Amino acid sequence: MAVERTSGGTSLIDVLDRVLDKGIVIDAWVRVSLVGIDLITVEARVVVASIDTYLKYSEAVGSVTPASRPAIDGRGTEAVIAENAALRAQIASTRRENTTSRRLRRP
Amino acid sequence: MPPKPKPSRRTARRARTAEKKASSTNGVTGSRVIREMPMRSTAPAVAKAGAKPVESRGKYVYCVIRSEDPRRFGAVGLGSVPAEVSTVHYKDIAAVVSDTPLEVLDATRENVLAHERVNEAVMRDHTVIPMSFGTVFKTRDDIIELLRGAYSAFIDVLLKMEDKVEFGLKVLWERDEVVKQIEREDDDVRHLKGEISSQSGPTYFARVQYGRLVESALQARSERYVSEIFEALRDVAVASRANKPIGDKMIMNAAFLVSRDREVAFDAKVKAVGAKYAHLTFRYTGPWPPYNFVNIRLKLERATPGG
Repeated sequence: MAVERTSGGTSLIDVLDRVLDKGIVIDAWVRVSLVGIDLITVEARVVVASIDTYLKYSEAVGSVTPASRPAIDGRGTEAVIAENAALRAQIASTRRENTTSRRLRRP
Repeated sequence: MPPKPKPSRRTARRARTAEKKASSTNGVTGSRVIREMPMRSTAPAVAKAGAKPVESRGKYVYCVIRSEDPRRFGAVGLGSVPAEVSTVHYKDIAAVVSDTPLEVLDATRENVLAHERVNEAVMRDHTVIPMSFGTVFKTRDDIIELLRGAYSAFIDVLLKMEDKVEFGLKVLWERDEVVKQIEREDDDVRHLKGEISSQSGPTYFARVQYGRLVESALQARSERYVSEIFEALRDVAVASRANKPIGDKMIMNAAFLVSRDREVAFDAKVKAVGAKYAHLTFRYTGPWPPYNFVNIRLKLERATPGG
């Protein structure tokens, strides 16, 4: 059968497949933080956590049976959640420190 | 010395009455004023403190490119009235951005397609590292700070992706048709099928065995097709990734990284392969920014003291 090539932006599924978690990715909660907090006041900054490029010609991993997600994924998420909680706590304490030091300086 | 506190108290009272007036007008004039009020009232105070004025709009980031000169890509950005797309620079790299309300964006059809539309427009003349959907920074300075902090990572990836684009290829089959084909061609399967339909007694074990045989024959066939297709495209692509097929009709869900100067050759090859496997459906898309070949994860970190 004839193969038709469609440009990227025409299929929403193909777009969603790519834009949600590929390319340069920022954790969802950081995305929220970016618009909600002032990075300078909480002394936080956005840094690179990891870089991966895939420049190999992969071998076929064709499969008809849907494979379940590897267990590693679950652990990864937990680690990220734990890290998030730790960072949130840090931000909160920094904020407290800031307000206390300001109060102390005032009189 | 003593008269000093007096004027300050008076200004405070003046401010309070102004606030009162403002809030009473807000009630009548509606939400637009309410939203703008805090900006107006805090702006002079911030200016007095010597800080930068607060920006009411954020900057949406679409992708990172190599460019030393400011670029404009027209009004193709996000928004009900598509926003002007321009660049924010650090050294020889730039973020492609547009103004956007300072809020978390929903991944609606319009927003997601606008994100992709901008990437495709930029891709015509640039190698891009696409940003995933929904990244809004508060100010230009935040973006410059990001470009500065991740400079070496971005340059490294930009060089690796230079003049390369991505193509998507999904291959589907009619599972029922293939099963019929297997029944015709596979002797064991045909034999079992005949046994099941002719037997008058219980056929449970024959059915189970039939099911197993068909399943493994399907698996073998799909693996053969997929590896043949990958092999056929090896010479015209730089890299490839096999994603998990979606649904039971799809046997291949792959992305290929292709040099721009090999685009025509890749296109011809995909069409030739598609013609060879007349019973398979090829869904071929692109060119895309190299989403499947780049993964840069950013995180929030507490700045080191004094750094």
